[in-house]
Order: sequence, then C-alpha cells, then structure tokens
Amino acid sequence: MQVEKFYYDNRIVKNFAYATILWGAVGMLAGLWVALQLVFPQLNITQYGSFGRLRPLHTNAVIFAFVGNGIFMGVYYSLQRLCKARMFSDKLSYIHFWGWQLIIVAAAITLPIGLTQGAEYAELIWPIDLAITIIWVVFGWNMFGTIIKRREKHLYVAIWFYIATFVTVAVLHIVRSGQLPYSWLQSYSWYSGVQDALVQWWYGHNAVAFFLTTPYLGLMYYFLPKAANRPVYSYRLSIIHFWSLIFLYIWAGPHHLLYTALPNWAQSLGVVFSFMLIFPSWGGMINGLLTLRGAWDRVRDDVILKFMVVAVTAYGMATFEGPMLSLKSVSAISHYTDWIIAHVHVGALGWNGMLTFGVLYWLIPRIFKTNLYSKKLAANHFWLATLGILFYAIPMYWAGIQQSLMWKQFTEAGQLKYTFLETVTYMKPFYAMRSLGGTLYLAGVFIMFYNIYKTVKQGKLVANEEAEAAPLVKEYSKHKGEHWHRVIERRPIQLMIISLVVILIGGIIEMVPTFMIKSNVPTISSVKPYSPLELQGRDIYVREGCYVCHSQMIRPFRSETERYGEYSKAGEFVYDKPFLWGSKRTGPDLAREGTGNLKKSDAWHFRHFREPSSMSEGSVMPAYPFMLTQNLDTSSTAAKINAMRSLGVPYEKGYESQANTDLMIQANMIRSSLKTEGIEVPANREVIALIAYMQRLGKDITNNKTATTNQ
Amino acid sequence: MFKFIKQYAEKIDHVDIYPMISLFIFFSFFIVLLVMVKKMKKERVQLLSNLPLENDGSTNSTL
Repeated sequence: MQVEKFYYDNRIVKNFAYATILWGAVGMLAGLWVALQLVFPQLNITQYGSFGRLRPLHTNAVIFAFVGNGIFMGVYYSLQRLCKARMFSDKLSYIHFWGWQLIIVAAAITLPIGLTQGAEYAELIWPIDLAITIIWVVFGWNMFGTIIKRREKHLYVAIWFYIATFVTVAVLHIVRSGQLPYSWLQSYSWYSGVQDALVQWWYGHNAVAFFLTTPYLGLMYYFLPKAANRPVYSYRLSIIHFWSLIFLYIWAGPHHLLYTALPNWAQSLGVVFSFMLIFPSWGGMINGLLTLRGAWDRVRDDVILKFMVVAVTAYGMATFEGPMLSLKSVSAISHYTDWIIAHVHVGALGWNGMLTFGVLYWLIPRIFKTNLYSKKLAANHFWLATLGILFYAIPMYWAGIQQSLMWKQFTEAGQLKYTFLETVTYMKPFYAMRSLGGTLYLAGVFIMFYNIYKTVKQGKLVANEEAEAAPLVKEYSKHKGEHWHRVIERRPIQLMIISLVVILIGGIIEMVPTFMIKSNVPTISSVKPYSPLELQGRDIYVREGCYVCHSQMIRPFRSETERYGEYSKAGEFVYDKPFLWGSKRTGPDLAREGTGNLKKSDAWHFRHFREPSSMSEGSVMPAYPFMLTQNLDTSSTAAKINAMRSLGVPYEKGYESQANTDLMIQANMIRSSLKTEGIEVPANREVIALIAYMQRLGKDITNNKTATTNQ
Repeated sequence: MFKFIKQYAEKIDHVDIYPMISLFIFFSFFIVLLVMVKKMKKERVQLLSNLPLENDGSTNSTL
C-alpha cells in the first residue's frame, strides 16, 4: 500500500505549552497571595483585591487555565501521533487556542470586579459560560475530526480518556450553567437550595474527575510509557481502569454534602460510590508505577521520570484519601476544615502539577529539536516542588485536624471550650508555613520558566514535523469471532455514546428524585422569599465571595448546634438561588446569624464590615470600607424580582414596581437604628443591604417557633 | 440500611425490584468487563500497548 506523507502540527502544541507555563505561574501566584492574606489581612488591598474575589480567581486559574492548557498541550501532541494524522483543522486549533485564552482573560477581569455566579469552580458569568460551550465544541470537533481521519486503526486507551473527558465535561458544564439571565452580565441559577447544592457538587466533584483526572490519566498512559520507553504495565488493567472509573466517578458528588440537609439516601449513594472509587483509582496508579518495572534505576538519573513518579504517587495518595474522607464519620471531622485544602493540593500540586512539569520537560526539547538546557536546573525544580508540596500539605493537615478538634471541644461543665475566633488565631502559624510551601513550589516554576526559555532559544521549532504512514482501509468487514472491544476501539463515536450513557446513569438517578419527589424537600410554611433589600444584600454577599469562608449549613452535631443554633433543614433554602452552604469555615457559620444568641446589632455589623478586627481582635476577615461609600444599585431590583418570580419564587404579580419603595423603607429603618448608635450613613449605601441580609439569616425558623408557641 | 429510602420509595409500585435490577446491572457490567478483558489475545494486548512507542519521528534523545 502507498505510504502517505503528512506533517504533525507542533506549533499548536507549543502555544498551549507556553500558555500552560504562563497561566500556571499566574494561578499559583494568586494562590500564594490569598494564602498570605490569611496571615496578613492588610494585604486585602481595595475591593478588587479582597480574598473573597481573588480566591475564585486562584482556583479558576489553576484548574481551567493551568491544567486546562496542560490538557490541550498533551492532547494535541499525543492525539496526532496516536492517530498518525495531523489535527483535523488548523483553523479549529487556532480558534480553540485563542478562544480559550480569551475566556481566561475574561475570567481574570470579571472575577476581581465581583461578577460571579457564586458556585464554586462555576463562578463565571453566563456570557463566559456560553463562550466556554462554543470553544469546547470546537475542541471536540477538532478531536473527533482527527480521530475519524486517522491512519491507525486502533484507538489507544489514552484517546478513550480524552473522549470521556470531552463528553462528560460538556454534560457537566451545560447542566451546571442552567440559569436565567436578568441582565447582560448576570443571572440566577435555575435550581435552588438543596437541588442547587446537589447539582453544584455533582458538577464540582466531576470537574475534579473529568477535568483534573481523566484527561491527565490519558496523558499518563501516553507520556509515561514514552518517557520510560516501555509499554504500559498492563493494557488489560487500563481497560478495566477506564470503564470502572467513569462508571463510578459520576455518582460520588454527594460526599461533599454529608450531614447536610441533602436527603439521606443521596448522601449514602455518594458514600458507597466514593468508597468503591478506590479500586479503579489504585488500579490506575499501580498500572502507572509498574510501567517502570525493571527500570527503577533510571528514575535515579532521569528527572522526567522523577516528576512522573511523584505525580502518580500523589494521585494514589489523593485517591486513597478521597474515599476515606467520603466516609460519614471522617467527613464529620474533616468537612469545613483545612484538611480538605491539604487534600486538594496533594492532587493539584502533586498529580496535576508534577505530571505537567514532566510532560513539559519531555516535550519542549522534542518539538524544538534540541536537548534540555540544564538537567541540573530541572533537578532543582523537582526538589523544590517536592519539598513545596510537603511544606504545604503537612501544616494544613495538622491545622485541619486541630481546627476540628477545637471546634468540637467541650469543657467539663458542658460548654464549648473555644470561641471561633480562638480557633482562627490558632491557625495563623500554619497558614504562614503553608505560604512557605507555596513559595518553594512557585520558585521551582520560575526555574522551569528560565530552563525552558533557554532550551527554546538554543533550538528551533519544528512547526510541521514530517511523518509517514499508510492510510486506513475504509472497507473493513467484521470477521467472525472478532473481539468485542475491537469493535469499540475502531469506532470513536460509539465509544463516546457508550461513555455518555455510562456517565448519565449516576447523575440521573441522584438528581431526578430530588427534583421530582416533593417529599425530598419538605417545605416549611414560615420560610418566605427575601425582601428586596435582603435580596440585594444577598447578591452583595455573593459578589464579595463571602461563601468562600463562611458556611450556611449547620450539621446536626451538638458541637454545631451549641455554637450556631438549630441544625439546618432542607426546606429553609427553597428560595436560595444560588445556595450558599459553602464548603469551608475560615470564618464561622452564618446560617443563624440573625437570630438567637448570635444576633448582633446593626451597628456591630456596620463597624465589623468597616474594620473586622475592631470588633473581633485577631480576625483575618478583609475590611469592606468601600461598602460604606458605594451606593446600592437599585436599578436592578425590578429585573431581579421578575427573574426570581419566573424561577418560581412567589413574589406577587406587579411587585417589581413596588419593590424599590419597600427596599427604601427597610433601608431607612436600618439607617435610623444605626443613628441611635451614633453612626451617620445614608440609607442607599451597600452596607445597609448587607446588614439587612445578615439580620435575616435564620429568622424564618425562629418565626416558625414563635408561631407554634402562640398556638 | 434502606430504611431512610423506604418512606419515599414505598409510594412507587413494585419498588422492591429496583435494587435487584441495579445490583444486576452492576454485577453483570463488571463481570462482562472482566471476562472480556481476560479473553483478549496476548498479541493484541501487545500491539495495543506498543502504540505510543511506535516511531513518530521525534526520537532524538534529550537527556
């Protein structure tokens, strides 16, 4: 058969590689900065640089910009070679690259100015969500185009991981982005309360699974054998790894919501599947590590293998820890603490970071047809990164466990031993040590930056790399007794459809009953929609990212009900769009902030927002002086009320025209209450709305009790 | 163990068959997967696992 000559596109790989390095540095720098803010709250400079706005910037940059570009770099390199074909369309590659970078820039602008949806890792506003959808389709189109015109009959296992990634991320993104816009930039979630929480953590956990894990497993299955120059330990195991991983992962989301108001059966499903996940995950890790069987001596000299070994080991540790954290009894002590922060950083810094660095050091010299500038610098990078992970994770584990023990400690007289503030100040040295770990890790990245810069300078990009292969014979009749999996291996579209079915099962079984069966979310008659001022205040709470540090979900433990009041019920959140249960308690829970012994005066809140440490000495909360001078934008009130009504919140028809009058009446009441304490502030300031929201928190349930007593 | 689902599930007709169906789907999915993988021919496995290692034009060693 005639052999065809064609060229691999290395320019697109180079572009994504540069973007990976650049955004990696930016994302990690943002991470280091927010880490330092927890030690030195005065680093919260201006509203655009406050913790609540920058922390989402850090997480989005690391996940979607650093790892995202890393995925595309690895996919564009390996897919072409595994398919023995150039990418389907250079134009699509180009649109994909620049589209993705524009999305990142848009995120970097909108998040600091406070445009957010308030859902973790899905913060980006609806126009950006739309752009992501388009660019993702472009990526998929380009990928499937390449697979279809390939010259290699078989689809190597890495490609299956890429296909599953594409299809699942598409489903996750579309479902999570369900929202009703009320302006050109902002929107409310379709879902509310418990349902929003379930959708959020189904999405959130599978973003970890199908953005940070499956594509990187694909990279592992390609680049680790390449770097070790030997085939993967067991190809059979990789098949089992693939199917069981995607089959189980999609169910695991509810483990983020244990002991919350989520229906118990959904929690239990989440626990069971999370626990089972240990098997495919460890299967994959073992497959990766055993690829090096008989070649471990090379790990001593080969820095690329060193990076990859640590990456796969970190994957193993994180995927052992994950199922453990999903057990209800472990979640009871670990949830809301810095333990989880340690856990995710073992994954991000260890698994994603180290594998990315390994691939970069392997790939850059190859596409530039040269040798790596300095092996020694790469080795230094390796040790800095490894030590950085240890210096990061160990203090955070220590801090997390200590934090939890302190929250739950009672005196002999049966009272809580520590105030929340005492637990916060106790954390500070650990936060400082963690920053040191981050600094070491980042220093390594800068060394890599220099090393790769020098490597690129001494080489020359082979933009179009020549290759030869025989074309695939199109007519292919199935012969008798053919192995079942061969059929799938030849047919990417079928593989995609089967993957889609497999991942949809879990999502549907968990979500549909929560949406359809009324008794899953028992209603509470005293729970009423927010007043216009409270609604505006709530949106400011979302804008400032308060949910990043404050939960609004009291679990049914004595240590929590003593501290925060009655535990949270599903019916309390029916008008919450988005839900604001949070996932971390850097500050105390706020679910009952407006009631009981937690209730503070309006003046207390005013002074606290102006300078938190003046009311709570040693507080690490950012100050919000700008809310005392910024006017509340009441022009959006009518649109917000209308949108909420369309989404099922029972505001009366025509209420939107009266809403601002009610808003001003309530604002004036707070203004007068502040005046009695000697604080002069106009009623139309943002802080007034936020105080109104604070005072509302938890009130519905108290009203219910008063009503019951009156009867 | 299923007490907490019962109150919702009781309202569905013939609900007792659901857990059996799901167990069956799970069990057969993994059994079929294992059997098929076990039955794969050795040469095929070798061919597949060597796919990334085929000469793709970029063989210059870097380290």
